[in-house]
Amino acid sequence: MNIGSIVFAGLMLAVGLVYGSMAMNMPRGSLAYPGPGLFPMVIGVFLIATALGCLLQELLPRVRGKDAAALSLPNEVPVAAEERNVAKTVQLTALLIGYIFVLKPLGFPLAVCAFLALAIRIFGYRKWLPTLAMAAIIASLSYVAFVVWLKLALPLGILEEMLG
Amino acid sequence: MDLFSGLIHGFSVALTPMNLLFGFLGAVIGTIVGILPGLGPLGAMALLLSLTYGFDPVAGMILFAGIYFGAMYGGSTTSILLNIPGEAASVITVIEGYQMARRGRAGAALAVAAVGSFAAGTISLIGLSFLAPTLAMAALKFGPAEYLAVALVGLVIMSRLTGGNLLKSLLMIALGLALGTVGMETVAGYMRYTFHQPLLAQGIDFLPVAMGLFGISEVLVTAEQAMGKVQLQKVRFRELWPTFVEWKRSFWPMIRGSFIGFFVGLIPGPSPVISTMVSYSMERKLDKHGEFGKGAIEGVAGPEAANNASVGAAYVPLMALGIPFTPAMAVVMAVLLIHGINPGPLLMTEKPDLFWGVIASMYIGNFMLLVFNLPLVGVFANIIRTPLHLLMPIVLVLCLVGVYSVNNSMLDIWLMIGFGLLGYFLRRLNYDLAPLVLALVLGPMMERSFRETMMISRGDLSVFLNRPISGTIFAVGAIVLVAPPLIAWIKPLFKRGEI
Repeated sequence: MNIGSIVFAGLMLAVGLVYGSMAMNMPRGSLAYPGPGLFPMVIGVFLIATALGCLLQELLPRVRGKDAAALSLPNEVPVAAEERNVAKTVQLTALLIGYIFVLKPLGFPLAVCAFLALAIRIFGYRKWLPTLAMAAIIASLSYVAFVVWLKLALPLGILEEMLG
Repeated sequence: MDLFSGLIHGFSVALTPMNLLFGFLGAVIGTIVGILPGLGPLGAMALLLSLTYGFDPVAGMILFAGIYFGAMYGGSTTSILLNIPGEAASVITVIEGYQMARRGRAGAALAVAAVGSFAAGTISLIGLSFLAPTLAMAALKFGPAEYLAVALVGLVIMSRLTGGNLLKSLLMIALGLALGTVGMETVAGYMRYTFHQPLLAQGIDFLPVAMGLFGISEVLVTAEQAMGKVQLQKVRFRELWPTFVEWKRSFWPMIRGSFIGFFVGLIPGPSPVISTMVSYSMERKLDKHGEFGKGAIEGVAGPEAANNASVGAAYVPLMALGIPFTPAMAVVMAVLLIHGINPGPLLMTEKPDLFWGVIASMYIGNFMLLVFNLPLVGVFANIIRTPLHLLMPIVLVLCLVGVYSVNNSMLDIWLMIGFGLLGYFLRRLNYDLAPLVLALVLGPMMERSFRETMMISRGDLSVFLNRPISGTIFAVGAIVLVAPPLIAWIKPLFKRGEI
């Protein structure tokens, strides 16, 4: 029994129920003139049925199928031992969310520079000076490539006045 | 325009300096992506998708074709030299390729993989050149019922062929279809699941979903796994030539792999991966030398040919019907859609430059890959030494810039991060992400086709089965869905003599 799979299937079941009930409140029309709610209603039923199936599959081991991981690779394929470091995932997610908040006020070049410096450290490189240098170089190159060369409309934030 | 005049026209388009440059760039990027573990061709194409806004659509398509083919070439390099598959389609090559390298035959394995890839690529492109126009002509007879049938049965077949858990794949399809209904519905302008957010009125864009599921989640998974230092096997240029016996033993596996790859590539699903497995299993069964598992050259030649052949074949349904059967083809379709071009049976007649130019550029790209991959194998293999602490943050920056630049929307960044996290958890829970992405892309088209069919037939559902083409397609889908459990049920009864 995989707790994660049970939680996810349960969550999908809840999503399916909410999705389906919202579809019930949309105009469904008739088969000859289908309204905007008909197709979502069918999908809602499908979502609920498959989520329920996955949930039962996890709860009742007898009906459990094989997983995608068992993509029938021959036994000889060497698989690297997984040493998971979940803290890095959490840190990277927080960093990505933080980037959203600083992008407009700081501007693209500074936000990317700060983002890169922290991301490089999260990925295990510990020396500050080379980290900052690498971040500054990549951020500068990104600015030249995306803003100057490709003319993408990226926010410049506090640099807007300085750069004209 | 017939096949040969079409191809000649295509070469006149593909041989312009700018398109040649994009083909070359695509081949180089693809090779690098194939070499680097943690970033597959799909992730790379999703990353670069927003940049193709600024390009001509032909150039964008040529770039992506180069990336897809190049990744198949590059993946074999690290599989053979380092025992590390650069991407999923090269996992099988590790088995025999690395054993050959340990026996001092790395050069021969690389050469056979490259030549096999070239031969298979060429065979599949010939197949594409013949089949796509023929299928496109046939598809002119398709109505909405047939399009719904192809899309629905395609999803069903895909859920069966991923080799994973059927219910989990179907749940991913349901989730993708549900996400596809978000936004303003096209017939009556009704807002669905927008929660009064005007930004959601346009619906959930494919790009943040694809970049989140295949870019961000890949980085998050890679961040968790510690990578040790790699030991690179050295290969000298003069060692790259296989012996006569090695060539002889590789010839038929290459041919068989090419045809297996092409036919598997026409079917919805992760065809490059499946085709290598089918080819490897076949070569193993046909083995006369008892070398499998110890470095059999047939186990490199067949699968490497198969994965390249499947790439060319994957373009057939997209170019002829406008329906992508793999997530990578969905990204390729997005290149066309962002330029306002609808792929489908009329593409060949309405946009001959694009249709034939892309096909011709694949021939050129395939040749380029053979020419520069073999001599530069040492250079490319060294790319794997790029430190992850530098590479992964750059990938993240490309994702962040790419997704924002399309609509200048913060919502797209939120969506990408959200789908990145979803993808990360789904990978951990052994869910296949491909059905979700394909259902998201195909969902709106399926709804439109369903509603059009119902209006034309005045609500008669039997129209799906009564029309010969859609009826046949639905019958095939039903067989694919029902046959495996039925066979599993009947087989023991046969064994026990009850039937």
